[in-house]
Parts: sequence; structure tokens; C-alpha cells
Amino acid sequence: MKLRFWGVRGSFAMCGREVLRYGGNTTSIELVAASGTRLLIDLGTGATELAKLLMQGEFGRGQGELPILLSHTHLDHIQGLPFFTPFFVKGNRIRIVGADPPGLSLQATLQNQLAPHYSPLNGLENLAAGVSIDTIVPGSTFTLGEFEVETALVPHGNMWTTAFRVTADGKVVTFLSDVEYPEPEAPLPEALHLARHADLLIHDAMHSDDDYQLRRGWGHSPARAAISVAEKAAVRRLALFHHSPDATDAMIDETVWRARAETKIELFAAAEGSYLEV
Amino acid sequence: MKITFWGVRGSYPVPGAATVRYGGQTSCVEIRTESGGCLIVDAGTGLRALGQKLSREGGVPRQFHVLLSHVHWDHIQGLPFFEPAYIPGNRIAVYALLTAADELDQVIGGITRHEFFPMPLERVPAQFQFIEVKPTVAMDIEDFHVLPIALNHPYGAVGYRVDADGTSVAYVADTAPFHEVLHKQHFLCGLEPLSHEDLAALAAMRAGLVAALRGVDTVVYDTHFLPEEYKRFPHYGHSTPDQALEICAEAGVRTLVLYHHAPSHSDDQMDEVAERYRQLGKAQGIEVVTSQEGMTLMVGAQEPR
Ligand SMILES: [Zn+2]
Ligand SMILES: [Zn+2]
Ligand SMILES: [Zn+2]
Repeated sequence: MKLRFWGVRGSFAMCGREVLRYGGNTTSIELVAASGTRLLIDLGTGATELAKLLMQGEFGRGQGELPILLSHTHLDHIQGLPFFTPFFVKGNRIRIVGADPPGLSLQATLQNQLAPHYSPLNGLENLAAGVSIDTIVPGSTFTLGEFEVETALVPHGNMWTTAFRVTADGKVVTFLSDVEYPEPEAPLPEALHLARHADLLIHDAMHSDDDYQLRRGWGHSPARAAISVAEKAAVRRLALFHHSPDATDAMIDETVWRARAETKIELFAAAEGSYLEV
Repeated sequence: MKITFWGVRGSYPVPGAATVRYGGQTSCVEIRTESGGCLIVDAGTGLRALGQKLSREGGVPRQFHVLLSHVHWDHIQGLPFFEPAYIPGNRIAVYALLTAADELDQVIGGITRHEFFPMPLERVPAQFQFIEVKPTVAMDIEDFHVLPIALNHPYGAVGYRVDADGTSVAYVADTAPFHEVLHKQHFLCGLEPLSHEDLAALAAMRAGLVAALRGVDTVVYDTHFLPEEYKRFPHYGHSTPDQALEICAEAGVRTLVLYHHAPSHSDDQMDEVAERYRQLGKAQGIEVVTSQEGMTLMVGAQEPR
């Protein structure tokens, strides 16, 4: 399985020279199985960059097929939806798969994102590709093409996020972003279960340890929470993810050095760029 | 008066190496008088950096005024990231056109409901106030005399002419031109035939805009598309620099500022656009400036820039 980070930034798309190496686009991750089939996680602004690549191939001809997992509907995870050009080509088959936000349906939430006052698209029904929205119950396991997906609900401030364990080609990627445990060094059992022996764990590490003291309860993790999950679940590699918009490239480098000094787990900070072999 | 550009991009923010010079953040400008009066126009993602600067200026509690052209995402997305909203005692007045069925606080506050954002607007420490604007009905806001102008954009938008310090600046975004599409309250998937009433409405809107811009020193205009792009998407609600030049020439404007750049336009492409339209403007006696994030322009300056 190959993986490419198209957006690694949390909360807000950050522009400028200080963030060029890690990238400023918000959350979007592409997984590609050995056979070439794809799975996308989240539709942050990073998805608009992937869209350009997809449109050069079968999606440009209306013959593309793509399942998209949504972790939750905070803006930085759906911001790219109205600008994801494969939606505008008739014939493409795109499925959005995610849990209902508290007290609402996923369908109604995305419909509201495209409401006439917010967007000239004026509703999901005007996306030429015809989008199907499948609501899942977190905790369930299902298959999307060649990808086997195990899910769990994890706390995210006043919301919940769906975390994913994706298996393909005998490799495992676990996505645990936008999560805050009651204690950073005591991750919840459902998170550990999802991350068990993963080849790659992608974990929320939005805050530096100092920063975290000021942001407790806001729904994000410090790097040491990510390390704690990685160690307890005995993962092979850890990607620190969902970087703060205020974190410059130099600051992220420093977070990585400090984190490496704290653990034997192989780790790196997720960066927009080329395909990685899982 | 001076105007500073905090976000010049249209549609959505575009980080990356290809946009570092012109900037990737969406619509937001700051207008300042000589005595320090401050008006913010549009609350796109550029508002975040402006909010950080305003916080550093201090002076708590403060009253802020934010004029919105309309409530498409690229013009309001910065609001939840506006630092002064998190400072108790601050007051933030938001001015907007009532375009959809809901109330303004429902629509604008709606982007901070729990499914979209962790902190709802009605719970932030600062006090928000929402004020409906009506085209042609002028408002006096601190030192500024503000005239809202009807524009041609899906579900409506307004531009603003702002007079202060004996000079004037206008903000004209987002708008389509006025010859082949009339945006109303429904979805357009392409050009629709225009009735006599539609043509009359377009002519009236165009005349209203030209009249409002008459003699304005500096006009910031939605020039999202290049002419060849506009031909493919005439129903998207945006203009070209040529269409902006035509309006500005008729209104006798001194300086036209190209604004709301398409996300696909790279810095190198924007350099070409800037040079081409600088020349075209010069031939018509209009100074054409291409906006860049972080740029400040003096309004009403006597010397050529
Ligand atoms: Zn997030
Ligand atoms: Zn716009
Ligand atoms: Zn718009």
C-alpha cells in the first residue's frame, strides 16, 4: 500500500514561505493499494491538489471511482469538498463514508455546507457526479473495495471523531487525528486497539508540550500523546500530524527532534509531498 | 486613507510555493483613515492575520466594523479565527446583505455550529452585532461614509464605496459582468436566456455601479478570470480585468486594483497578468495594480505610485 499526504495542517490552511516544506493545506490523505485502487481520508484543502491529478486520468473522463472516509465534519476536514473537481464530472462514482455529527445527519451537514448562501453550488444535488453519502456507525468494520476499514469513536473536545484502521495488501495504516484523551499519557483502549501493530500510525500532534497546557480541552493532542499510543500499541512507524497553523517548518523540525529523543519508535512529521511506501 | 490587502485569493485558500508572492489567503482588506479609523471588508481567511495584528495594537475594549460583500465561504471563513473575537469587552459589528431566508446571525453564526467548528460564535467572549445593509442606502461608520452597491452574483452581493479623508476607495467583489448573465435566487448550471426585464435589470445594475464609482480614486475589483477562462464559466459570478477596466474607464477611476485571483493562477502567471493589464490600463489613462497579500496602497496619493 502507498500513501500520500495532500494536507497535513490542522484547523486553518496556512500560506507562506515558513510552511513550504511541511505544507499548509488542511487534512487529506490518499491511500493506494497495489492494484491501483484508491481510498481518500478527509476533504481538507489538500484534496483540491489531489483533484488536479485525478482529473488528468479517468476522473476527467467520468470513469473514476473513489471512496472517501470522513473523520468528522469540522471545516478543516471538509473545506475542499466544494472544490473537488471530480464531483463536477458526470459518471464519476464517489462515495462519502462517515458518521453522523452529534444530533445531525451527515447528509444534512454537507447539504448545509453547500446551502445557497454559502456556496454557488447550491446543494449536493448539483454535483454532476452524483454523490452517495453512507452513514456508518463508529465501531463497525466494513470493506471499501480492497480496503478493510475498522472504526472507533474517539473524543475531540465537544465533538467526536471517527478513527480508522485501514488494511490493504497485508499492511495497516491507522488514522487517529483530531483526538484528545482525558490524559495524554493514558490513551483510551479503543485508540490502542485500532493502532495495534500498525505499519504506520498517523496521529494528532497539533500542540507542543508547552502549548498543550494552554489548550487543554480544545480537542487536540500534544506529541507525547501520539508517542504514548505508538509505544503502547507497538506500531512500526509514527507520523505526527495535524500541525498547528502557527507551527513554522523550523518549529515542526524541533518537535520531531524532541520527540525522537523521547522514544525508540521510528517517527517523522507528516509533510505534503510524494508517495510513501507503507 | 490607505488600504491593506490581507487576502487576495478567490474561492479557497491556496498554500504552496506557486502562490507565496501574491498570497494564498481569501478575501479580506483593511481600510484605515489618517486618524486611525479602521474598516474591515470581507472576512475570508486573510482575516486571521489581520486579527493577530489588530490584537497587537491593543486598546481593549475595541469596536470593530466588518463589512461583508456576501456570505460565500471564501468571504466569511476567517471569522472564527479572528483573535479580537476571543477578547472580552470587544464589540464586532458585521454588516451584510440579507440574501437567504435565514437571519444574518443564523447564517454567519451557522459556520461555527458544533458540526463545523469547536466554538460557536454566540459563546465567544466578544459581543457580535449583525447589521443588514441595503444597496444605495448609505451608512456613516466612524470616520467613514459607506455606500453599498448592488452587484451581480449568485444570491446577491454588495460592493462598497468608502469616502474618508477627502478621498474614496471602492470594493467591488464578487461580481459577474452585466451583459449575459443575471444572477438571481436560483442555481445556474450555464447561461440562461434573458428576458426584457432581465436585460433592464442588468442595465440598471451596471448604471448604478458606474454612478457609484464616479470619480473614485481607487477601485478594488473581482477579476477572478482571464478572458479565456471566463468564456468557459460565464455563469460563475466573476469578472475579467477587461470587464473591470471597461467599468472603471466609464466611471473615471484613477486606479484599478485586480483582486480575487483564481486559485489556479500561479505567481508567474500573475506577473504576466499584472504586466499585460498595467499596459492596457495605461493606454486608457488608468493605473492598474495587481493586489498581493500584505500590500498597502495609499488612496488619493497625488504622486504616481
Ligand atoms: Zn482538524
Ligand atoms: Zn469570492
Ligand atoms: Zn462569491
